[in-house]
Amino acid sequence: MKMFAMSHKTVFVVDHCPYMAESSRQQVECDVLTKSRAQGVIPLAPVSKSLWTCAVECSMEYCRILYDIFPKDKLVNYIVSDSEFHILNSWRQEDQTTHELMSALAAVGPPNPREDPECCSILHGLVSAVESLCKITELQHERRTALMDTAERVANRGRIICLTNAKSDTHVRMLEDCIQETILEQNKLAAGSDRLMAIQQCELVLVHIHPQGEDTLVSDRPKKEISPLLTSEVHSVRAGRHLATKLNILVQQHFDLTSTTITNIPMKEEQHANTSANYDVELLHHKDAHLEFFKSGDLHMAGSSTRENGLKETITLKWCTPRTNSIELHYCTGAYRISPTDVNSRPSSCLTNFLLNGRSVLLEQPRKSGSKIISHMLSSHGGEIFLHVLNSNRSTLEDPPSISEGCGGRVTDYRITDFGEFMRENRLAPVSESSHNPSGKLPGERAKAQLERYTRYWPMIISQTTIFNMQAVVPLANLIVKETLTEDDVLTCQKTVYNLVDMERKNDPLPISTVGSRGKGPKRDEQYRIMWNELETLVKTHAGATDKHQRVLDCIVACRSKPPEEEERKKRGRKREDREDRTEKNGSKESEDKSWQESERLKGLLDKEEQEAEVIKDSPDSPEPPNKKPRLTTEEVQPPERAKGPVSLLTMWSNRITAANSRKHQEFVGRVSSVNNKFELYQHLKDENGMDVHENGKAAR
Amino acid sequence: MPTVVLMDVSLSMTRPVSQDGSEEFQRKNLAVHGLNMLFEHMASNYRLEFTSLMAFSSLWELLVPFTRDYNALQEALSSLEDYDKTCVEAALQGVSNVVQQEWGSACPCQLMLVTDGSLGIGKGSLRHSLQTMKQRADDKKFPLPFPFPTKLYIMCVANAEELQMTDAMDNLEELLRLSGGDGQIFTMEGPLCMKSVQAMFGRLIDYAYSPFHAVLHCGNLSSDVQVFPRPEPIVVDDEVEPMPRTVSTDLEIVGFIEIADISSPPVISRHLVLPIAVNKEVDEVGTGATEEPEEEPSASQMAGKSPNFCVLLHGSLKVEGMVALVQLGPEWYGMLYSQADSKKKSNLMMSLFEPGPEPLPWLGKISYLGPISEAAENPYGEDESKSPFPVQPAAKRSYAQNVTVWIKASGLQTDVQKILRNARKLPDKTQTFYKELNRLRKAALAFGFWELLKGVADLLERECTLLPDSAHPDAAFQLSHAAQQLKLASTGDSQYAAFDHNIAPMHTDFSG
Repeated sequence: MKMFAMSHKTVFVVDHCPYMAESSRQQVECDVLTKSRAQGVIPLAPVSKSLWTCAVECSMEYCRILYDIFPKDKLVNYIVSDSEFHILNSWRQEDQTTHELMSALAAVGPPNPREDPECCSILHGLVSAVESLCKITELQHERRTALMDTAERVANRGRIICLTNAKSDTHVRMLEDCIQETILEQNKLAAGSDRLMAIQQCELVLVHIHPQGEDTLVSDRPKKEISPLLTSEVHSVRAGRHLATKLNILVQQHFDLTSTTITNIPMKEEQHANTSANYDVELLHHKDAHLEFFKSGDLHMAGSSTRENGLKETITLKWCTPRTNSIELHYCTGAYRISPTDVNSRPSSCLTNFLLNGRSVLLEQPRKSGSKIISHMLSSHGGEIFLHVLNSNRSTLEDPPSISEGCGGRVTDYRITDFGEFMRENRLAPVSESSHNPSGKLPGERAKAQLERYTRYWPMIISQTTIFNMQAVVPLANLIVKETLTEDDVLTCQKTVYNLVDMERKNDPLPISTVGSRGKGPKRDEQYRIMWNELETLVKTHAGATDKHQRVLDCIVACRSKPPEEEERKKRGRKREDREDRTEKNGSKESEDKSWQESERLKGLLDKEEQEAEVIKDSPDSPEPPNKKPRLTTEEVQPPERAKGPVSLLTMWSNRITAANSRKHQEFVGRVSSVNNKFELYQHLKDENGMDVHENGKAAR
Repeated sequence: MPTVVLMDVSLSMTRPVSQDGSEEFQRKNLAVHGLNMLFEHMASNYRLEFTSLMAFSSLWELLVPFTRDYNALQEALSSLEDYDKTCVEAALQGVSNVVQQEWGSACPCQLMLVTDGSLGIGKGSLRHSLQTMKQRADDKKFPLPFPFPTKLYIMCVANAEELQMTDAMDNLEELLRLSGGDGQIFTMEGPLCMKSVQAMFGRLIDYAYSPFHAVLHCGNLSSDVQVFPRPEPIVVDDEVEPMPRTVSTDLEIVGFIEIADISSPPVISRHLVLPIAVNKEVDEVGTGATEEPEEEPSASQMAGKSPNFCVLLHGSLKVEGMVALVQLGPEWYGMLYSQADSKKKSNLMMSLFEPGPEPLPWLGKISYLGPISEAAENPYGEDESKSPFPVQPAAKRSYAQNVTVWIKASGLQTDVQKILRNARKLPDKTQTFYKELNRLRKAALAFGFWELLKGVADLLERECTLLPDSAHPDAAFQLSHAAQQLKLASTGDSQYAAFDHNIAPMHTDFSG
């Protein structure tokens, strides 16, 4: 599709000469009397539209459809011609509404039948139309500026639709010649100007309007090339209904539109609320919405019908009752704006209101085979209705391997819920162009920058992190990722740190994960060391941003407890890191990673020391691993493994019982004289071979 | 993008290739060798591609329907038989039918024509087909261009010089042009041997079947991925921007949007996003391929066990019902989302939007979507009760405002009747009466339809005379006031006929 095709610029030139004030001789009965009131009342004489009224309302209808379907970049310039030309609007986007044009047309009013026909001519308007086509549009200007040295790629084409009452074929030829000449003249002028562009192609569509019942003096003529710059076609039409049909066909041709009729729309009748009749509504839209349809040659079978003396075709789609919900993401290959052909008819407005209220409708396409398939969907977005094209063919992506079979698919403890929260925080919202500071970063770039900040330290699985499993860290973790911090924010962060210090002092358990590790995980003070390391890693990635971020880091460094020798080592390391911080942005990342890896390694080492093989699985639903038991305080009796880690409930219990019991009786000789809780039994048997086991047992007692 | 391999099995393919000593090959053997190599490549690097094998001579036959079973394809190759003469046109017609039956007419397809470049003689030859192309009846049209978008690769088991000696090369070039021009003719370089046929198919693999690898970024989180099928370069506007746009190998997430807000957007293509092992030695695509040799089961298992960002992203997108907006290049975007198939297998998918700054009108310009944290108040509301989407367009569409269209007489009659109906219910309906009256007045002025204004004025005056005795006295005042105002407007006097002027209800003692 070309951005600057013929359809980018359309000039309407409408004849405003005295003869256009003539009646179209098509009468409209507007006084429809109800039976009960009919007696004794003389009905009002029917009114009839002038040629001018017919021309104006049909051109407005053309614009209405055009603006509905292409609200942008398909522009209309409206010119009225009598003894001089009147330009009613400009190419600028804000002038492109029917309301704007109607207002300007009201100011012009109908032609004055008493004006001297000799000084009136459509030519004034046509000359002005050519001049107007040379004027650059906003889009052309924008593109030319953007393309710089290849600005010549921006083309200038346009179409002139002239609604007039011509005198004869010779008169038409005269008009064509005049346009051709004007184009040549204007192109010369345009060559020397920044705001003008030479016309590369111009299409003249001359519509000769004559009153009903009058023979036409001008004959129809299909498109013909007058010069490489100009093609011309002539349509001779009776005013009224025929003119409206003609312009409807033209707008479809000019903008590649086609018609779809939605059938079987159920609608409540006002009078009979409990019955519902089925209606049809005809819509216009870009013809690509039926691209596949046209290609497959399924067209004629599929309920397309030819109406009104073969001038117009429409494709039938059937209303489909199972509605769709907005949560479903359909595979949609195109979405095209629609415009109802008969905008204020009751069925049309029922359908459009239904859709504007936020409901969507699936549409069914009858196929050659007799089977039916859901092929389209009507849905509105922001007060605009679109015809969505749904894919109805076999997918080439069917039966793909599941994500759980691929890389990372076996890992079960992803922080799915946390990342969901992350996504909510990183949702997008439109920023108005007027509120955007042109010298600053675009909102989209700022969104990416935010993602960068939020992910500087973001462990993907639960067993890789301690701090993100702790409610107590949340306030700090949420604030530290911000671009700038307020004093209050710093205070909150510091409070979080103090709170952690407090927890450590009270020896509160930490949710250290034990996934993949054998045993019970590290000791409490180790756990805190891991937690502090991780927290430091997180905050360090942001410390370079502002002084306030740095203050949070300082607070952590000052508050955290460390073994003295490590403290020393860290201090040295930090000085080095600080220097790196200053030299490059985010430069400290690598060393931070190192320190984090180190703590991870430590954790791993600790894990290996553990003898018990017990694995606690974490899942997104249970992010808090079970709390560790308080340290055993009884010193008297300890299993030899005690020194290596916390003990199980069973061990604790049996130790306790044993301790209690031991006080109640005299200790066995063997136990008293045991080495490492071991005592060799039956020492006396070493010399007496061949003794009965049973007896041995007795002997032991 | 499914592939059809169209293999020439005419007698000319059995011509021996002259070789010094050793064993003797036919051209067919070379072609089969090349295809085997291609299938092996696809089995390990491009295994999600659906491929079918067709053989043709004067007739055509579908040997293997579309499949991902590359063993079946190789098996069929090994049992090819030799037939009579080459007839390309009939075979192309066959391809057209087979593809459309399987994939419809919108799905882009790749056609690989494997031939020796002797394209038949007399009737049915490609030369004859091309010469008679313009004198065909509608039902006997040349099958190219196909209704579906096509990439045509012509693999010639022949040298370029050999093809240029006859008009074969010209005919093949014409064939490529007719198919839409997307594709390439491959010929063999050097002597016809196993090595040069491998080189030729190697060039095809690089051109069309190399997997598309990219890195998916979300800030500092990232994952190596394969995007399947390969995203194709596209030309947005052949005049203003003739260079095709390609998808960047760095896919950057911009932010996230609810599924209801993105609301079934139109897309130009859909792709699977498959995480791949970072280890370059493991060339395995994360497809769960089972034929990994025994000795290194650890590679794919290791990959399965180390956390991958794609899996995390997929899981959260699925749970939250959201999509990730992803930037594919300058002013080109797409979305990532979780897609479940009928078997409840789910996957990370990427759909590409039409290139441009504003692919979806209801989102506005994508570069103007910013983080919600910057908004003065949360655009989604504190309780998630609202949404900043859809973006409202500047102007309302005709069907969303009360436009006046009188092209059909019924439109005009309805509008007049509405006024009369309200006129009879004055003063209760004063507001509606004037609203409808002003709407009619505006349209009549714009259309230069002054006669209607006079007509309606007459109607209102008549209504005034028909008022029953029980009528509220205000009704008569309002009716004659309205009639008088319409009459004044119908004179075109600028004081009364201004478009933006509205007739206001008359202030009477009764209206209070």
